[in-house]
Amino acid sequence: MSYNNNFNINIPNSSYQNSNTTPNNNLTSLNTPNMNRDRSLNSTRNGIKNENSIGLNPSNQLDKSMVESLQLTQDSLTSQMNTNSNTSSLPPQNIRPSTIISTNSTVPSFQSNKPPSNEFVRKLFSILEKNAYPEIVRWTDSGDSFVVLDTGKFTAQILPNHFKHSNFASFVRQLNKYDFHKVKRKPDEKPKYGDLSWEFKHPTFRIHYEAGLDSIKRKITVPKKDTDASNLNGSTTANVNNSSGITSAQSLNARTKESLLQNMVSKDSFNNLKNKVSRLENELKASKEEVSNIKIESDRMNSRYTTLLESLITFKTVHESLTNNFNSVCSILVHRGIDIPQNLYNNMATQKSPQYNLQNEAALNNAMSDSSSGSPIQNMHPPTLMNNLDSQIPMINTPNNDLLMSMSSNQKNRIQSPDNNSSNGSSSLNNNSGKNINNGNGNKSINESSTSNNNIPTDPNEVTLRKGFHVLLVEDDAVSIQLCSRFLRKYGCTVEVVTDGLSAISTLEKFRYDLVLMDIVMPNLDGATATSIVRSFDNHTPIIAMTGNIEDQDLLTYLQHGMNDILAKPFTRNDLHSMLVRYLKDRIPLCEQKQNSGINNGSNANNNNNNNQLSPNMIQTTPNMPNASQMQHNSSISPTLQTTMLQQPQQLAPSISSTLQAPASIDSNPTSQLMSQTQSQPNSRNSSTFDGNEPPSKKSRV
Amino acid sequence: MIDTIPSEVINWNILNEIISMDEDDPEFSKSLITQYIDQAITTFGQMDEHLVGDKDLKELDSLGHFLKGSSAALGLQRIAWVCERIQNLGRKSENVFPNRIELLSTLPSTIGVDAGDLSESNDGQETVENSNGDELYLNLIRQALSQARIEFKLARKELSHYYKTEL
Repeated sequence: MSYNNNFNINIPNSSYQNSNTTPNNNLTSLNTPNMNRDRSLNSTRNGIKNENSIGLNPSNQLDKSMVESLQLTQDSLTSQMNTNSNTSSLPPQNIRPSTIISTNSTVPSFQSNKPPSNEFVRKLFSILEKNAYPEIVRWTDSGDSFVVLDTGKFTAQILPNHFKHSNFASFVRQLNKYDFHKVKRKPDEKPKYGDLSWEFKHPTFRIHYEAGLDSIKRKITVPKKDTDASNLNGSTTANVNNSSGITSAQSLNARTKESLLQNMVSKDSFNNLKNKVSRLENELKASKEEVSNIKIESDRMNSRYTTLLESLITFKTVHESLTNNFNSVCSILVHRGIDIPQNLYNNMATQKSPQYNLQNEAALNNAMSDSSSGSPIQNMHPPTLMNNLDSQIPMINTPNNDLLMSMSSNQKNRIQSPDNNSSNGSSSLNNNSGKNINNGNGNKSINESSTSNNNIPTDPNEVTLRKGFHVLLVEDDAVSIQLCSRFLRKYGCTVEVVTDGLSAISTLEKFRYDLVLMDIVMPNLDGATATSIVRSFDNHTPIIAMTGNIEDQDLLTYLQHGMNDILAKPFTRNDLHSMLVRYLKDRIPLCEQKQNSGINNGSNANNNNNNNQLSPNMIQTTPNMPNASQMQHNSSISPTLQTTMLQQPQQLAPSISSTLQAPASIDSNPTSQLMSQTQSQPNSRNSSTFDGNEPPSKKSRV
Repeated sequence: MIDTIPSEVINWNILNEIISMDEDDPEFSKSLITQYIDQAITTFGQMDEHLVGDKDLKELDSLGHFLKGSSAALGLQRIAWVCERIQNLGRKSENVFPNRIELLSTLPSTIGVDAGDLSESNDGQETVENSNGDELYLNLIRQALSQARIEFKLARKELSHYYKTEL
């Protein structure tokens, strides 16, 4: 049915749900302007629909009022509306508008050709005049009132037949609307027509007095437009005959109806408001949710940012320590005048900004002064690193390149320095000449670095590692120890093993290693804590965590504790190898450094002189650096460098021998390995120094 | 959520890498495995002691972690998996352990399981009721430990077969 369709389609969802439960809500939902327009255009359905809508949205009906102005009283209209609004007096079939439409024969329409304003009264009058039911209802003897003798029979017989309902209360209400009054008996008066009788009276409702009926009207007035609308209804509805009885029967209690009408209207707006409020509430809820989501998101971003920052700082530290480490290597190399392979030389010019070179040189100086003074390095030049944070970021994955570069610049210096030494002669220390030379070199490397920025770092897996690195393995699991040390030896490393964090600390206090592989979960002291303690006195040695806990948070913790990297367990040989390459690729094993410096110490005075010259020169190449004050500091301590360099080998020597002799050491043949490494080393060293070095190193080993 | 247990007893990718080291040192992998077997038996015994003795979940956690490491290093992934469960149960970061039938059903069909191991044992489940917090985890670890022993037996069998000698 199209009515139903309209009904369902046009109403908002919320009221639609309600509409199936209570008729009032039906009316509510019908109150949309579109609905009314639809209905008014649909002539066959107007009768019902307008009844629904008249009171609610009358303005839509105004243009229809011109059709015909049959003078329906407000009574019938209101009562009709009452029908549809499902007051208790209504027959069940009228509850839903759609039902009303489908059951056309019972549709209450108050159509007639004569003034039907008090149809109900006239019908009642005619029943009484005919006196068809003297036992049920009749005029009283006086003729100025009528009496219902048997309300039961009246309800059962007369009401259905003449008024199309069977509700006595409705009938009474209807009478009341027309200003009939029940005739009350005095308390002591004996009922004249029986206990169950109801006597009603109206001033102009008298026996045989038909003219008086015209003056019987409903007590209330309804706005005129409603009347017009009901006129329209009357003219368009087909059901003429059945309407009047119902209309009159329902025209009781007009006041109640009207208040009800008003209620409906207010309920309408109430519902509208309610919908609005709930809609607003939903919107508020949604935006609240949104806000909280945004908050969460921003918190997340914040924590990410913090994490990133932390790891950057960690990286900075790592880089710092690597730089220092490398610089100490370089310083020793410089000291020794060792040549550096061409490929390293090429790499070193990569990706470096001029400042970076300078910084590395500064770091080198720091490292040298550090090793001389024996103070921790960690606080040496944070400002520089901070300033260069930006330039570091792109190189995060290849921190060694920076070191490599600094090394290369140092190498240059060194390459030239032996020549200079020879020209300057070994007779005296010439600080000035040395300074000049080094300055020249420094500038050169700066220029070079600024021109060649597009070098690609070599793939770590293709790099061959130097042999002879000394690795401390901190691990409590015998199987892992065997396996890992086996792998390490395979890559030419010598391995020493300790099995808990405490031993790791005490071992690192006494000896130096090229690399530390540290388990995390260990008895006595865990690897991360051990590392943070080690970092308090050793910021150089790379410490790699080996762990199965590779949650982001764990990794961050390890890095924050000063570990350089993480090797996830279980790892393969290749994993281990690439880790070794990453941290040892550009290094020279400590043992070789020791050899060389030991030789210098003993036999080569020229080299010592050279070293002594180097550090002040380096300082001078970096006058514009932010850490100039540190430079100053370095230069002030530079006189002690000579002795430092001389002492260093002696400090290192015990660690070598004790390492080799240590019971925990797994390396079965360290001497031969180291020897072969030394010989197979591709670097072309200064042949004179190299030749001189070898025999003493052998001796010290054996 | 907990990962599912690996199907294969041994991850041969890992073990083969170790075996390849035998080129230099013929008995290397075998000695490693022998060492592991001793270690595992010892560790299981220690776990038993903690389960009946001091009921120290922390110790059980670290024992689980310990054996997990060496198992994983040798590619004995199913044992490593069970050990990780023990570790996490000891930390109370997990509170379930799959039943035996379910776990054994993930094995490849070529692996024969002893009939005795197939029957679900009740140890660990009888006392679930009187759980004063730790008891739940201890019971689950008991279950896990007996599972670990079964996995260990399976791995040992497969390794013995490979080395053609009783390990």
